Amino acid sequence: MTDSQEKKVGIISCSGEGCVEGTIARVATRLVLEKLRPEETVTICLPLFLAGGGEERAFAKYYPTITVDGCDKLCAKVGTERYSGKPAGSIVVTDLAKSSGCSKLRSLRKLESEELALAQKVAEGIAREVDEVLEHWR
Amino acid sequence: MSEYLRTVFDKFELRVRKGLYYTKDGLWVSVENGKVRVGVSDYLQKISGDVAFIEVAKPGSTIEKGKEFGTLESVKTTVALLSPMSGKVDEMNGELTGKPELVNSDPYGEGWLMVIIPCNLEEDRASLLGAEDYYKLMLEKLQSEHEKLESR
Amino acid sequence: MKTATSGQKKVIVIPCSGIGKAFGSISRDATYEVTENLRKDTTQTLCLALLVSGDEESLQLIQNNKCITVDGCPLQCAEKNVKLAGGNLAGSLRVVDAYKENRHLKPKGVTFLDPDGQQMALALAGKIAKKVDDLLEEH
Repeated sequence: MTDSQEKKVGIISCSGEGCVEGTIARVATRLVLEKLRPEETVTICLPLFLAGGGEERAFAKYYPTITVDGCDKLCAKVGTERYSGKPAGSIVVTDLAKSSGCSKLRSLRKLESEELALAQKVAEGIAREVDEVLEHWR
Repeated sequence: MSEYLRTVFDKFELRVRKGLYYTKDGLWVSVENGKVRVGVSDYLQKISGDVAFIEVAKPGSTIEKGKEFGTLESVKTTVALLSPMSGKVDEMNGELTGKPELVNSDPYGEGWLMVIIPCNLEEDRASLLGAEDYYKLMLEKLQSEHEKLESR
Repeated sequence: MKTATSGQKKVIVIPCSGIGKAFGSISRDATYEVTENLRKDTTQTLCLALLVSGDEESLQLIQNNKCITVDGCPLQCAEKNVKLAGGNLAGSLRVVDAYKENRHLKPKGVTFLDPDGQQMALALAGKIAKKVDDLLEEH
């Protein structure tokens, strides 16, 4: 990595197809990348990372990362620790759903209003983690 | 010593191969025993996205410096490819019909586009950029991209 | 998540779900269209990351059933990861194959699919469904 690289945080999200929380993790991460912290963040593609993607793993090794997992299987967190190093932050959607009092989430594919609201909450949680990481980094 | 000049943008490493000439649009040129091989720079393939189709003038065609000799169609955009030199197309890379992704995965190697027999080699080469100058141009373009994002 | 009960063979459809590109989102949506709609009784999907993390149930599923991977880009992470995990890979589809037949579509949305993206997902879902039928006929 060269000196010219600005300080950025890598977000590694699961996209778990088996549960709606995976979809929420994915959407929340995209919201952070596109709207909440577009200048400060970079997405790390988890399948590519796990398959051996050099750029993804190198970034995660030299720059701080935040993992976003849909459920307590923690695939993004475990994968990051295994191949690059301990993430600087970790978010689990099922934990946030419980603490937000979300009732049983339904739609796996197209998020309804409750799921979208949770995605927004998760995105804000990720953004706060990004700010904290960058604050420590300065 | 590395055969590339390198920089990092976001998580992507961008390489400019030394010893080649470049157009401002991002094509590279290699002079090989009086013929000229043409390809796409790492920067150009990266900003274009995953290449789905490549069309290049057929062998025997006459091409003119600065004029379109083909198109690169990615899932994001279609890029008109402007010839770095005048001459006749000697060879086109037939592998790219079935595997256009070679342009992305190996832009300086197996992803080459065509070989030209130039009719004005020295004069046309003089108007191209060396690797160092193209590298500086690439950094300027990246900086300008970065500023555009910041101002959004 | 649905699970294949013993004696009931299903085809497992596994998308790459790459988060950085529209085609990753399309791979995901096309998979859901198949597993929730077009072939909902004969297919199911699976989290790719679970395979790499060594989840036993997921590994059993891909080893005991035929799998189709759906990749968004030429890096083919779904295909690679399923092979590495010892899955019974019976088919590999790529979003770009649907794009080649629908060049007028230029999907841009990654977070949420735009109309072009939705159309491409449907076109791809049709191809996946056909592949599923072929594989089940072989049984």
